[in-house]
Amino acid sequence: MKNKRFKKLLDAILVPALAIISGLILMAVLIAVTKKPIFASYGVLFSKGFGCVKSGNCAILTTLERATPIILTGLAAVVAFRSGLFSIGQEGQFLVASVVAAWLGYSIHLPNGVHQIVIILACMAAGAAYGYIPGILKVKLGVNELLATIILNTIATLFIEYMVQFPLRADKATTAHSPLIDKSAELATFMPGSKWGVGFIIAVAAVILVFIFLWKTKMGYEQRMAGQAKRFALYGGVASDKAAIRAMLISGALAGLAGAIEVLGVHRRIMTGFSVGLGFDGLTSAILGQTHPFGVLIVAIIFAGLKLGAQLGLQLKLGIPRELGGTIIGFIILFIAARKFYEGNITAIAGWFKRKPNQKMKREGG
Amino acid sequence: MAIALELKGITKYFNSTDVQANDSVDYDVRTGEVHALVGENGAGKTTLMNILYGLIKADAGEIIINGEKVIINNADDAIKNGIGMVHQHFELVPSFTVAQNIMLGIEPNSASFISQKSENQIVKDLADRFNLPVDPNAVVRDLPVGMQQRVEILKVLQRKAKILILDEPTAVLTPQEVYELMAVVRNLSKMSYSIVFITHKLIEVLQVADRVSVMRNGKMVGTKNITDTDIPDLARMMVGREVLLRVSKTPAKHGDTIFEARDVSVSDVNGLAAISHISFKVNSGEIVGIAGVSGNGQTELVEVISGMKSLDGGELLINGKDITHSSVRERRNSGVAHIPEDRMKVGLNLQTTLDENLIISRYNDSEFSKFNFLLGRSISKFTRSVIDAFSIKAAEPGEGISMLSGGNLQKIVVGRELSGEPSFIIANQPTRGLDVGSIEFVHKTLIEERDKGAGVLLVSVELDEIMSLSDRILVLYRGEIQGELETTNATEEDVGILMAGGKINHRSPQTAMKGGKLP
Repeated sequence: MKNKRFKKLLDAILVPALAIISGLILMAVLIAVTKKPIFASYGVLFSKGFGCVKSGNCAILTTLERATPIILTGLAAVVAFRSGLFSIGQEGQFLVASVVAAWLGYSIHLPNGVHQIVIILACMAAGAAYGYIPGILKVKLGVNELLATIILNTIATLFIEYMVQFPLRADKATTAHSPLIDKSAELATFMPGSKWGVGFIIAVAAVILVFIFLWKTKMGYEQRMAGQAKRFALYGGVASDKAAIRAMLISGALAGLAGAIEVLGVHRRIMTGFSVGLGFDGLTSAILGQTHPFGVLIVAIIFAGLKLGAQLGLQLKLGIPRELGGTIIGFIILFIAARKFYEGNITAIAGWFKRKPNQKMKREGG
Repeated sequence: MAIALELKGITKYFNSTDVQANDSVDYDVRTGEVHALVGENGAGKTTLMNILYGLIKADAGEIIINGEKVIINNADDAIKNGIGMVHQHFELVPSFTVAQNIMLGIEPNSASFISQKSENQIVKDLADRFNLPVDPNAVVRDLPVGMQQRVEILKVLQRKAKILILDEPTAVLTPQEVYELMAVVRNLSKMSYSIVFITHKLIEVLQVADRVSVMRNGKMVGTKNITDTDIPDLARMMVGREVLLRVSKTPAKHGDTIFEARDVSVSDVNGLAAISHISFKVNSGEIVGIAGVSGNGQTELVEVISGMKSLDGGELLINGKDITHSSVRERRNSGVAHIPEDRMKVGLNLQTTLDENLIISRYNDSEFSKFNFLLGRSISKFTRSVIDAFSIKAAEPGEGISMLSGGNLQKIVVGRELSGEPSFIIANQPTRGLDVGSIEFVHKTLIEERDKGAGVLLVSVELDEIMSLSDRILVLYRGEIQGELETTNATEEDVGILMAGGKINHRSPQTAMKGGKLP
């Protein structure tokens, strides 16, 4: 029994781990092309992504800060995927909520402590509402959620840009951005030098809550049954339509929470170019993390670290373009997509080990 | 008699599932012989035949045809060596004619033009030669299943096969069609063709085979001349213990009406009438069998009663209460249990654990959840109790079920459905694809439930199952009830005639009759 659990864990980790290692190995080829030292590059990538030179100057803290929205949008994707909905609308829900956070941050004035909570709740409601649209379209009209969310993402990207350029624009002279939010709306940070703070704690709490929701509650059970085996759920009396709507509401709320934290904890405003694809990073980390909350947590941190290391280390220290970080992540995704290749070979290798003693026995016997 | 085909020491181990599917299996077929191959699910019959047909590569062992060792790497090699396989699920192009299907890939003209006329002539000659009349111009999808199977056999014969593998050929046939197939098989053997006859049904083995080989757990248990064996003997060899082949049951003690269907009509996925205006009752303490050839509305009828599909018209009542528009959950709460025909996709979720499969119909009970939280401990306790009560082998609470055998999977479904003291049980093809040991278990359990006072609606295409379990038989033909019979004065022939859309006039006066109108 213990053995089996270990095997299950190994199965879950093996493919992503191999993919990450393969991606990093392939990175060496690209660095070789730029004629930079390969091993030094790895060192810099890791120290600037995950290292801690001296207290108060820890790259890992910045990594955790950057991982926060990816964790939350990743969780949003997990809830949708586990419920059988291929929703990629996290980016759009995240952006809509960001607009709400930036607006409520300066337009209403509440005491510290209340202000953040009000904004966070409003952002979650906004994300949920934006998630409800593809949900209800799917249930009532059978509209494919993938197509609906693609379109809604585009709408949200244009919407935030419009809001920044016109209604929420703070200053006509400079580049477009909204006014800074009130001090009372800011989320606390822990260490000077990074924006790592309360937001990350909320994200980790969300990881645990999503895990409990999906695997320990009645509703989560319904979500998963409807997601894994639609006919079975119908047969057992699970209301699949309700489960689908619920999935999109929860998924949207989590993406909305990410938007709130990104605005209140990091940027304190929205500006032109705010959309950098954090929702899509979350989507990817959900897939790489085996659509499991804990997997998302780990993958999101690795992602954020690789990006940061590429930006601060490779680019600033060695003059290697920081896009290399994105390229590595691209490779990793490619290797995950080619997982059949690993799985086939893992089974073959395992079988080879298993059969060897047998053949030996036969040879000795005969 | 010369030996046409010999398999020696065939061994196959599947890494992925850790199963020794074939363990030094020996098997041979003589020229002009029908050699039946029987065994439970997972005994290794299919693996053995797939190795012979070149679909799987054996780890060890050799194939000898007419005294010469051959290597078969794919189906083409098999055909070149005179081996032909008639699959359980036909591999025909439904929109092509009989002749086009038979000549597919071996069309007579080498130029790119196909002569319909010469194809038809070839097929006609072939059919005459083997005394298997077919209309070369008929489109395959319009043919009855038995006729389609005949086309499959002709296809194999046209490719000059001398050794025919028939993989569960009777599973989809009506009794009359089975009877005809048996004659065809005997005739082929007279023409010195060799036939491997794979089946679950031991009665057929005795009817058609010269010899029979039994496999169990990947090993060949034994080979016997048909004259030296009987059904109990074969069942014992298959299962490894004594098996009760015919369930013994006392006469039904009819109680009140549990379930009633009034003038029910249902359409299928294409919007065509699948069930038209049927009415019947199921009483407490009786098993009502719905007989019929597959595809005559059984699936739709069951889905409507269980609440998975909405009906076009009519009423459904459980214990006098109208459930016509109730949800699945409401029906289950009023005592309906449902053993579905597709246990892999409908009855179970193979991707999750045993526990989560067992609570699908009752996770809302206060025993299993409180304030929206699942009570893990009492769920695993329940799982353990179902495992014990229904002796589900190789299953543990908290573990996955995807590797379990068909028999054990069905035990999970049956265990779940019957552990809630249901008052009305819908059992749709409850023993499909199961081996004799598991069939015995399911039958015994259903009768126990009947004796406890439940009403059982048994839907089955197995005439044998209908005859041995039911107290009353309704025959479904093209969505209508073609006839109703009391089992005590019904014969298999009567039911068979009704199943084929015919009428019987000489039976009991209460028998309700309807014409076989086209829907």
